Amino acid sequence: MHKLFIRQLAKASTPEGVDLDALGTLVSSAYEESDRDRRRTDRSISLMIEELDQLNRNLENLVSERTAALQQRESELCAQNLRFDAALNNMSQALLMFDSSGRLAICNDRYLQMYGLSPEQIKPGCTLRDILEIRRVAGTFPDDPKEYVEYHLPALARGKSISRLHELPDGRTIAVLTHPIADGGWISTHEDITERRRAEEQISHMARHDSLTDLPNRVLLRERIELALKGVRRGGRLAVLYLDLDHFKAVNDTLGHHIGDELLKAVAERLRAIVRATDTVARMGGDEFVVVQTEAERPNETATLAQRICESLRAPFNLNGNVVVVQASVGIAMAPEDGREPNELLKNADIALYGIKSDGRGSYRFFEPEMDARMKARRELELALRSALIEDRFELLYQPLISLQDNRVTCCEALLRWNHPERGLVLPSQFIPVAEEIGVIVTIGEWVMRKACADAAQWPADVKVAVNLSPIQVMSPNLVSMVVGALGSASLAANRLEVEITESVLLQNSEATLNALHNLRGLGVSISMDDFGTGFSSLSSLRSFPFNKIKIDRSFINGMSEEEDSLAIVRAVAGLARNLGMITTAEGVETERQMEQVRALGCTEMQGYLFSPPVKAQVLSRFFSQQQERKSALG
Amino acid sequence: MRSARLSWNESDAWEADDAADRADLVFYFGSRQALASGDRYRELRGMFPDAHLLGCSTGGQIRDDDVTDNDIAAAVLTFAATPLRVACETIPRPEESRKCGEAIGRALAGKDLAGIFVLSDGLHVNGSELVAGITSVVGQHIPLTGGLAGDGPQFQETLVGADAPPRSQTVGAVGFYGDAVRIGHGSAGGWDEFGPRRRITRSQGNVLFELDGKPALDLYVRYLGEEDAKGLPGAALIFPLLIRDSERPDHDIVRTVLAVDRQAGSMTFAGDVPEGWSAQLMRGSFDRLAAGAASAAKQAAAGMHGSQGDQIAVLVSCIGRRLLMGQQTIDEVEAAGAELGSDVARIGFYSYGEISPHAASGMCELHNQTMTVTTIGEAAG
Repeated sequence: MHKLFIRQLAKASTPEGVDLDALGTLVSSAYEESDRDRRRTDRSISLMIEELDQLNRNLENLVSERTAALQQRESELCAQNLRFDAALNNMSQALLMFDSSGRLAICNDRYLQMYGLSPEQIKPGCTLRDILEIRRVAGTFPDDPKEYVEYHLPALARGKSISRLHELPDGRTIAVLTHPIADGGWISTHEDITERRRAEEQISHMARHDSLTDLPNRVLLRERIELALKGVRRGGRLAVLYLDLDHFKAVNDTLGHHIGDELLKAVAERLRAIVRATDTVARMGGDEFVVVQTEAERPNETATLAQRICESLRAPFNLNGNVVVVQASVGIAMAPEDGREPNELLKNADIALYGIKSDGRGSYRFFEPEMDARMKARRELELALRSALIEDRFELLYQPLISLQDNRVTCCEALLRWNHPERGLVLPSQFIPVAEEIGVIVTIGEWVMRKACADAAQWPADVKVAVNLSPIQVMSPNLVSMVVGALGSASLAANRLEVEITESVLLQNSEATLNALHNLRGLGVSISMDDFGTGFSSLSSLRSFPFNKIKIDRSFINGMSEEEDSLAIVRAVAGLARNLGMITTAEGVETERQMEQVRALGCTEMQGYLFSPPVKAQVLSRFFSQQQERKSALG
Repeated sequence: MRSARLSWNESDAWEADDAADRADLVFYFGSRQALASGDRYRELRGMFPDAHLLGCSTGGQIRDDDVTDNDIAAAVLTFAATPLRVACETIPRPEESRKCGEAIGRALAGKDLAGIFVLSDGLHVNGSELVAGITSVVGQHIPLTGGLAGDGPQFQETLVGADAPPRSQTVGAVGFYGDAVRIGHGSAGGWDEFGPRRRITRSQGNVLFELDGKPALDLYVRYLGEEDAKGLPGAALIFPLLIRDSERPDHDIVRTVLAVDRQAGSMTFAGDVPEGWSAQLMRGSFDRLAAGAASAAKQAAAGMHGSQGDQIAVLVSCIGRRLLMGQQTIDEVEAAGAELGSDVARIGFYSYGEISPHAASGMCELHNQTMTVTTIGEAAG
């Protein structure tokens, strides 16, 4: 019997026997329990199957999605590989890639082409050493493959990148870059840089050489001097010879730049021929050259070289059928005494050169410390002159010109003075040359013109004002408009202005200069020839322009008492002027006797201390107003 | 140690094996209806004025090979050399479970504490937290066994009494001291997991909201069918939930349902159901459940080495097992009895949760849907 039934039977048993109703209830309830359990079991199993089935479907979907994604990825990878292949085999660099075990993984076509190898020789799986041995036999690897590999592989293993230039026996230069890669292998790229290197060398050469003469330029010159100075520090000596060609500009202007360039090339050739191989010839630009003489133990060796340079360049040059003669001036600075670094040596040699210019060209000169002092003084003057303009330190004095007929003041000459804060009054002869050289003369000249016109506007209407023009002013294209502007702003009639020029202005003899003077005359401005008789061709200058007035230089007036010549000259000039319809002014009249003489000789005006020194504008104004008062009183 | 059986039923009142002249501890387990008045407690107190009285309401009483519903099963224990101490705490809200556990732990802690047997309210408690509270004070090495009181399949009110008339929202415990006492324990389920493994996607403490993003209650309703679903929450005990921390995959815990909230779609379990853990439904077959009970008994019996005199086994088995097995529930009680031997008296109850060290880890924990067996004896003095 089933143990449950035994239990049920026991439970339903009473002393009176088996309670059948109770037993029935127990058995029936057991059946119900059993049915319920079976239903639950069925239900849960079928639900579970359903759920698992759904899960299974989900999984299947997932698997098919993943499979599709994998296939997609695979085809992408395939396409990617094709692209990589195309990229690898069409790159200009050769490429090798090795895996972590040191075996070749990738070798592109360019590598094979670069070293003339065949795909059968270089197969995936071979080692770097294998490849290098093949290349050594083929003659494209000059080193020892074993040593190369023994050096490279440990360095790569330490994560170091290696960059090397390989000079191939056939003349090519290959740049090889080797980098370790993350998985433990390495990649190396080879680039043929032969052309690039040549171009770089050429660029480097161009950067350090003059394109016309192929001589070293300033950059290389400086390096050479630096190098030579190392020898100086060890007790040697060094000479820097700075030279330029006298009147090179004239060659350029008259024969054209082409011949000028030919001349520079020819000069370079001659210089190169003179110096030793250890010396340097460089072109600084324009017509300036520098020779660096190393091991210049004795100054006379340097003097000899300078002498030879001057002589060599003095010989005529035949340039495309033009015979050209030039001469060179050479300034010399010695290291260590004149300087211990390139800039200082070049500067001092240039100062020495400047020194020659002032006392005769075509020779050489050594630098002396006083030259430097003079240069410094001049530079200080330059600076002071520029600030004088800004600080309004210029002043005009006026010296009257007197009519010899009626002793009347006809004109006053404006004379420029500079009130230097330290040096006091500075005369034009001391600063005008510098002002001309540095270009401030035009600005100063304009100031003088405007001031003079403005002052003259205050004077009686029959008194003119005379203003000196420097040659550079006359050559300025703005001269006429500047004069018109000054007259306009002072409201001064043009016929009350005289401009004085020296003979040297006419030496330029250019059309533009004469046009400017004619234009001024056309306006009504008078033109005077100043300091007549001091130039070389005074009489011919009178032919070139119709001057209104001739001012006879003071040297002739001074000389009249002792020299018959002076007297004769004054007489002749006065006569000539009278015939040409010009006024003559005797300059520098200091005595009554001189006055009587010049009157007798036929001069029309005089100027000098006898009547008045140059005076301030206020003094002159007072003089004119007193004169006016006297006139009124008389009238 | 000496032990004697004692029982009560409506017709025969109290009935004992033999009159025990002195008693140290009385365990008693009965239906809520039998215990609610407090009369039974007072009668026991009259019989054993010097003994500690520890008892609770149940989902059925176990007395040797019998499982009954309306009576009271009790055991009277007399120790030769084992001091006892009893603790009792009220637990106003489940959130205070840990605090309550700590209080019990503090009341019983002692350097020669050898073991604790605890009975707790079965509805207003988070059993995991209660256990954690006790062990946090006395330590994991002290064997902690016991269970949550039951209320048949009604899930309305559970009662616990410790030296006082049984009341709701109460936790009572007895501590055994000294080196004479022998306490064995065993715990086993016998349930088989079935169906797909799911993930706990939303939960809060011991309240489960969602499995795999869907309301957990829907799943149970679907598996139970319309008819059985009417019996929720009790009906859910047929399908316990096996939960598992994916970081400790060999540490399985079985959870049983205490309550359902049809509006929220949530289910309240007797212990924590942490978010992120995996969950799998379980089902039982009569034979496998009985084999589980046998296994628990065998583990407990192993703890009785060196014991002399009487031994008693307290069986705490889950109400879910009884709901499933019906009349054949007795099979598991018999299976346990066969392992323990006929000389070991058995008493026990069907509970809403079992407390015992984990068979694998040894950590004291709340179990569900298991049979746990606690054996008590005493070595020769």
